[in-house]
Amino acid sequence: MRRISWIAWALAALVLAVGVGACGGDDDDSSSSSSTAATGTESLKGQTVRLWIMPNGPDPKNDIDTLLKPFTEKTGIKVETEVVGWDVQQDRIRNAAVSGEGPDITQAGTTQVPFFAALQGFEDLSDRVEDIGGDAAYPEGVWTTTQVAGQDGIWAAPWFTEARAIYYRKDVLKKAGVDEEGAFADWDAMTATLQAINDKVPEIDGKPIQPFGSPGKKAFDLVHHVMPFVWDAGGAELSEDNTKSTIDSAEAAQGVSYFADLLQKGLYDKSQLQRDGTQVENQFKGGRIAVWIGGPWTYASTARADDENWVDSARKNVGIAPMPHGPSGGEGFTFVGGSNLMMFKSAKNKDAAWEVMKFMSSDDFQTKYAELLGMFPSRSEPQQAIAEKDPGYQSWYEAIQQGRTYAPIPQWAQIENAYKAHFGNILDAAGGVGGGDYSDETVTSELQAAAKEANALLAQSAGG
Amino acid sequence: MVGPAPRRRRRRRRNTFAYALIAPAALFMLLVHVVPMLAGALLSFKNLNTFTFHQLFGAPWTGLSNYEAILDSSNPLNDGFVGAVWNTVRYTFWTVLGCLAGGLAIAVLLNRDMRGRKWARALMLAPWIVPGFVVATIWQFMWQSDVGIVNKVLVDYLHLLGDRPTWLAGDNALWAMIIPSVWRGLPLNMLIFLAALQAVPTELYEAASIDGAGAWRRFRHITLPLLRPLIGIQLLFGVIYAAYQYTIPVVMFGSNPGPDADLMMTLIVRQSFSNSLFGFGAAASVLLMGVMLIWVLLWYRAFRRDLEAAA
Repeated sequence: MRRISWIAWALAALVLAVGVGACGGDDDDSSSSSSTAATGTESLKGQTVRLWIMPNGPDPKNDIDTLLKPFTEKTGIKVETEVVGWDVQQDRIRNAAVSGEGPDITQAGTTQVPFFAALQGFEDLSDRVEDIGGDAAYPEGVWTTTQVAGQDGIWAAPWFTEARAIYYRKDVLKKAGVDEEGAFADWDAMTATLQAINDKVPEIDGKPIQPFGSPGKKAFDLVHHVMPFVWDAGGAELSEDNTKSTIDSAEAAQGVSYFADLLQKGLYDKSQLQRDGTQVENQFKGGRIAVWIGGPWTYASTARADDENWVDSARKNVGIAPMPHGPSGGEGFTFVGGSNLMMFKSAKNKDAAWEVMKFMSSDDFQTKYAELLGMFPSRSEPQQAIAEKDPGYQSWYEAIQQGRTYAPIPQWAQIENAYKAHFGNILDAAGGVGGGDYSDETVTSELQAAAKEANALLAQSAGG
Repeated sequence: MVGPAPRRRRRRRRNTFAYALIAPAALFMLLVHVVPMLAGALLSFKNLNTFTFHQLFGAPWTGLSNYEAILDSSNPLNDGFVGAVWNTVRYTFWTVLGCLAGGLAIAVLLNRDMRGRKWARALMLAPWIVPGFVVATIWQFMWQSDVGIVNKVLVDYLHLLGDRPTWLAGDNALWAMIIPSVWRGLPLNMLIFLAALQAVPTELYEAASIDGAGAWRRFRHITLPLLRPLIGIQLLFGVIYAAYQYTIPVVMFGSNPGPDADLMMTLIVRQSFSNSLFGFGAAASVLLMGVMLIWVLLWYRAFRRDLEAAA
C-alpha cells in the first residue's frame, strides 16, 4: 500500500514536470552582447540578427536567404529569417512589440507603421537614417509612411513599393473592338469598355468570360480597390487634419456608387463577391474575368513558369493600364502601398540589425529583390531605372506617381476595417446577394454608419 | 481495538492517492483556465486599446464603460452586436436540434440487426473525423454560387431550383454554416445514442409490443426516458460548443462575416484583435460567459435528476 502512494506522488511529479516543460517558452539565443562601437562591422562579426518577413512571392524564404548570403559572407553577421503569414502578422508583431520577445527586425505594411509605432516597442531611427540617404533618397509619398502624423520620429526604413493598376486581357479588348489606348482613361471610358466586352465577348477560346471582377468583404485589401474611386471624385477618407471621417461626403458617395453601380449594370461579376483577393486573382489568371484591379506582383508572375494558375491565353495577353481619371476631368488616383522594415526596441544587437537594414536599403539589393517579386524598389533612383528598362513596368511606374496612401495615424488599421465592412455591405447589396435592396439610400446610410464608427475609433485615447 | 483505526488509515491513504493524481490536473485548470478568465474579467474594466496596450494590466481603469458601450445601441461601436447575438441564437438552436434529433433518428434506424451495419456505422462516423477547418474550407467551395457543387446538383442535375441561390451572402449565409455544422456534429451524437440504445434490453420492447404498444409509443415511453441522461449531456455540450463556434464562420467568410453571418465569437475576435478594442472584447467575452453560465444553471435544474440517478 505504501509503495502505491509513493508511485502516485512520483507520477504526479513527472506529469507536472513534463507539463511545465512543454508550456515553457523558447530559450533565448545566447548571442553576444551588442557592441556600442559604431565603427565598422568588424566588431559585429558572428552576431545573429532575426528577421521576420511576410510571404512576398511564391518562394519567400529562399528568395530572401539567397539575396542575404553575400551580406553574411562580407560582414560575418548571420541573418535568421522567418516567414509570418499576412493573416497573423498583425497579432504576432503586436505581441512581440509589447512582450519584448521577438525578432530584431520585422517587415510591416506601409499603412501599419503608425499603429505599431504607437505600441512603443520600436526603435526611433532618426539618428541613423542619414546612412541610407534620408528623405532625399525616397519619393515623398514613400517617406511619409515611415512617420506618424503630427509626431517626431522615423519608425521604419522603406523596403519595397507597390501600386494598384488595371489588368486587362488584350485579346478580349481586340475582340470587342476597343482600342487599348484610352480604354480606361476615365470613368466613362471604363464603363464603355466593360459594356463592349459584356455585349460582344461573352466567351473567348470556348470558355465564358465576365467583364470585370473584384473581391468582396472577404478580401483584406477591399478598401484599396474602392478608395481610388473616392479620391477620383474629390472625396477623402479623413479630414485634412485627420480628426474626423469624411467618408460620408457627397464626393465619397459618388466614388463608391460608381464602383457599386458596375454590379447593378451586370458588368461586375457578382459571384466574385464571395471570394477573397487571392481567389479573384486566380480567376483572372484562369481566364474567367477580363478586367481586374491588382498589384505588380501578378504581372511578374506571368514570367514565372512555376505559377500554374495562369492559362496560356491569359498569360500571353496581359495588358496594364493606370487607374482611370475622375469625372469632370479630375485627377486619377491609385493606392500606393508596399512594405517597410522596423527595428524592435528589444533587439539585442541593434548595430548589427541596422547593418542588415542598411544592406536591404542599398540600391542593388532593392533592385534585385523587387525584380524577384515584381514589386518596385522604394528608393527613387532604382524605381526609375526599372521603369526605363522594361516597358511593361512603365505603367506601374506611372501608377506609383499618381499614387496616394492613407492618413498615417495609429488608428488607421481599425478605421480601414470599419470602412471595409461597410463597403462590403454596399457591394453585397448592389450585387443583390445580401443586405437588402440597393439604392442611393443604401450607399448613404452605410457610409454614414462607417463615418460614425471611424469617428468613435478616432476618439480613442490613452486616457481613463 | 484493531477495528476503526486501520480502516480510517486505509481510507485516508486511498484519498491521498486520489488527491495526488488529481493535483496536476487541478493545477493546470487553475493556470490555464481560471487565472486567464479572471485576468480577462479584470481587463474588461480597463481602457485597453492601441495606445494603452503596452501597459496591459497597468492600463487606466475605466469602470463599466466597456459594458455600457456594448449595451448602448446608440454607440457606433455597438453596431452589429445585437445582430450577432441573434445570429448566434439561431445558429445554436438549429445546429443542436439538427445534431440531436438527426443523431437520435439515425441511431434508432441503425439499431437493428441488418447486413452491413458495421459499414453503415463506419461511414456515418466519417464526417466527424474531419477537422473543423477542413470542413469549413470544403463547404466554402461547395457553396459557391456559380461553380459550387451544391448549386450544380440542385439546379443543373436535379432541376429542383430555377435560379442559382447565393449561399455565402445574404439570408442563406447562416444556413451555409448550420448545414456543415450538423453534418459534422451529428455522427458523434449518433454514435453515443447507438451505444446507449444497444444497452436497452430487448425484453422491454417485446413486452410492450405484446401489450399492444406501437412503435411510436415504445419510443416515447421506453427509449426516450432511458436516453434522457445522454440527451441532457449532449444538449449541454452541444449548446456551449455551438455558441462558441469560431472556425466555421471565419474560414468561410473571413474575419468579418457581415451582418447575416456574424456570430458572437467572430465579433469578439474582430473587435479585440482587428480593431484593437481589447477592453470591449473582454467585456463582450464576460457577458457571453455569463449567458452560458445561466444556460448551465437552467440545464442543471432540468436534468439534475438524471445526473443523480446515474450516480
